Amino acid sequence: MSHSKLASIFNKDEKKVDWHDKALWFVRHKRDLSVHQVKGWESLRDLGHGIKAHMLSNLDSYLQEFEKNAQANGVEVHWAANGEEHNQIVHKILKENNAKKIVKSKSMLTEECHLNPYLEADGMEVIDTDLGERIVQLAKEPPSHIVLPAIHKNKHEVDELFQEHLGTEPCDGDPQYLTHEARKHLREKFITADAAITGVNFAIAETGGFVVCTNEGNADMGAHLAPVHIACMGVEKIIPKQEHLGVFLRLLARSATGQPITTYSSHFRKPKDGRKMHIVIVDNGRSEQLSRPDFRASLHCIRCGACMNTCPIYRRSGGHSYDATIPGPIGSILSPGKDLTKHSSLPFASTLCGSCSNVCPVKIDIHSQLYKWRQIITKETPQPFVKKASMKMMGTMFSKPSQFERVGKLARWSLRTLPKSVINAKPNTWGKERDLPKGPKQSFDEWYAEKRKQE
Amino acid sequence: MGSREKILGQIKANKPESLELPAIDLGLFDEGLDLLQEFTKKVEVVGGNVIQIASENEVQAKMTELFPDAKVKYSTLDETEAFNTLSIEAIQKPHDLEDLDILILKSDIAVAENGAVWLDDSKIPMRVLPFITKHLVFVLEEKSILGYMHEAYANIDDFGFGVFISGPSKTADIEQSLVIGAHGALSLTVFVKK
Repeated sequence: MSHSKLASIFNKDEKKVDWHDKALWFVRHKRDLSVHQVKGWESLRDLGHGIKAHMLSNLDSYLQEFEKNAQANGVEVHWAANGEEHNQIVHKILKENNAKKIVKSKSMLTEECHLNPYLEADGMEVIDTDLGERIVQLAKEPPSHIVLPAIHKNKHEVDELFQEHLGTEPCDGDPQYLTHEARKHLREKFITADAAITGVNFAIAETGGFVVCTNEGNADMGAHLAPVHIACMGVEKIIPKQEHLGVFLRLLARSATGQPITTYSSHFRKPKDGRKMHIVIVDNGRSEQLSRPDFRASLHCIRCGACMNTCPIYRRSGGHSYDATIPGPIGSILSPGKDLTKHSSLPFASTLCGSCSNVCPVKIDIHSQLYKWRQIITKETPQPFVKKASMKMMGTMFSKPSQFERVGKLARWSLRTLPKSVINAKPNTWGKERDLPKGPKQSFDEWYAEKRKQE
Repeated sequence: MGSREKILGQIKANKPESLELPAIDLGLFDEGLDLLQEFTKKVEVVGGNVIQIASENEVQAKMTELFPDAKVKYSTLDETEAFNTLSIEAIQKPHDLEDLDILILKSDIAVAENGAVWLDDSKIPMRVLPFITKHLVFVLEEKSILGYMHEAYANIDDFGFGVFISGPSKTADIEQSLVIGAHGALSLTVFVKK
């Protein structure tokens, strides 16, 4: 289903849309307050961009450097060309360690690879331990936001889910009580887990170590208690040196939630004696995206979610309307590279206002890339007849000033004279939720010529 | 051809021409912070709290005063035999730490701009400790507080595991309401020795 069709489903509950819109704008506002306090913020963003661009241009050698150093640290490194291979590798490691109960902290990569159903099919229990992810897991839904996975759910829905699955008391959606119950429920899972899976925020070529950021402490509870730790990362998570963490950790949390840093920024380098640590490096379309000069900067993304929080379309259509692992503006430039036909409506889910590019901590030109995907999609995928015909008509009109003037005159007259029932008739989707302005008597050209004459 | 070679080959073929690695100019960020004041402010912003002390000896008494009901306690400070109720050496499985009420650890790197405190294997007898404890306490000297993350990383070298901790664990995953105490510590106190 197209983005607009799925968005119209989300839009049925107007109150919820309003809440969703305001809640995300509030997060964007917190981001503003936080970043305006940082001296040299724009230089930090430039550095973030520059370091990632440099990294991509030397990615093969940095990956090998990382592998070598990680192995020297006693970590086992695996390579997966695609999601399926990633799942097979993780499954094999778990099997070898006789692991049945697995705790997982947030990893968009394992979502992208659909790891959970793959492991569950073999009778393994996979528990998502980030509270938001646990909520959507219980609801059998995918996350709707990369940092706030359950932002589309209200507290009463969470209350009901917990009553059904965790046996909690009805509490009128008290977040304190519900969070505490989740802590108890997940504590037991941590204590009894056979293996822990985490994502990776940054992997450092120079040291072979990697960093995982959480606010809840779930990645650490999993990784330090279970005998086996598997960390899954996309190839683009590499950064050259440890000193670059200084740049990215300053950018990440401020952009994501307005916090000066996440509560826990955990640096894993060597497994503890007697424990095992594995890293799975995954391509899954990333090296192909690297081949596209117009779109390769999308691989700079550090998954902060700022572009979602600020996007007027995302805030009003909800993450599920994108039908992609990564929703929002960044998802709309990543997804078409994976499946152009399936995701062909996503680059159009934007006003091209550029707010996403303005807040991006690593200065990805998101809105320009959205525009560029539109050019490709219009050429390569079938377009609806009405859109095709009207675009052609408009193209001709805009290229002929006299015709443009005539049409303008007619449109202004119509907007002044015709009844609302005609103007807001069905084919005019712009009239769906709003009244169109009254047509002015003069065109801008006429107004301008008159002013010039008077001067 | 294995996946490793395939991935590396594709990346090599598809990557752009080498771009220069930008240098980090620390002068761009320095705003002449009052380090202790900024650190205190940021720890409070992230939900923790800072207590200034003249001597490490004050820490245990203060913690006993703050948490009179705490039963299971562990500290890595000197002369804490009387305070500690468990012996890390006797712990067979980290899982046995589930009831730990108070953990007191030393640190020698903290960051003013975000209230974060650095710990690594040399400071943590068992990696899960600072995450599994109910109440977490750091003790550091004022001179350990650095301005920015850049300076912290310049002082961090060899470690197997290390972590920056800024405030108690928290979540806002239910309707964006902030709740302190997710999976990790429920409270965080930092003692700074002047």
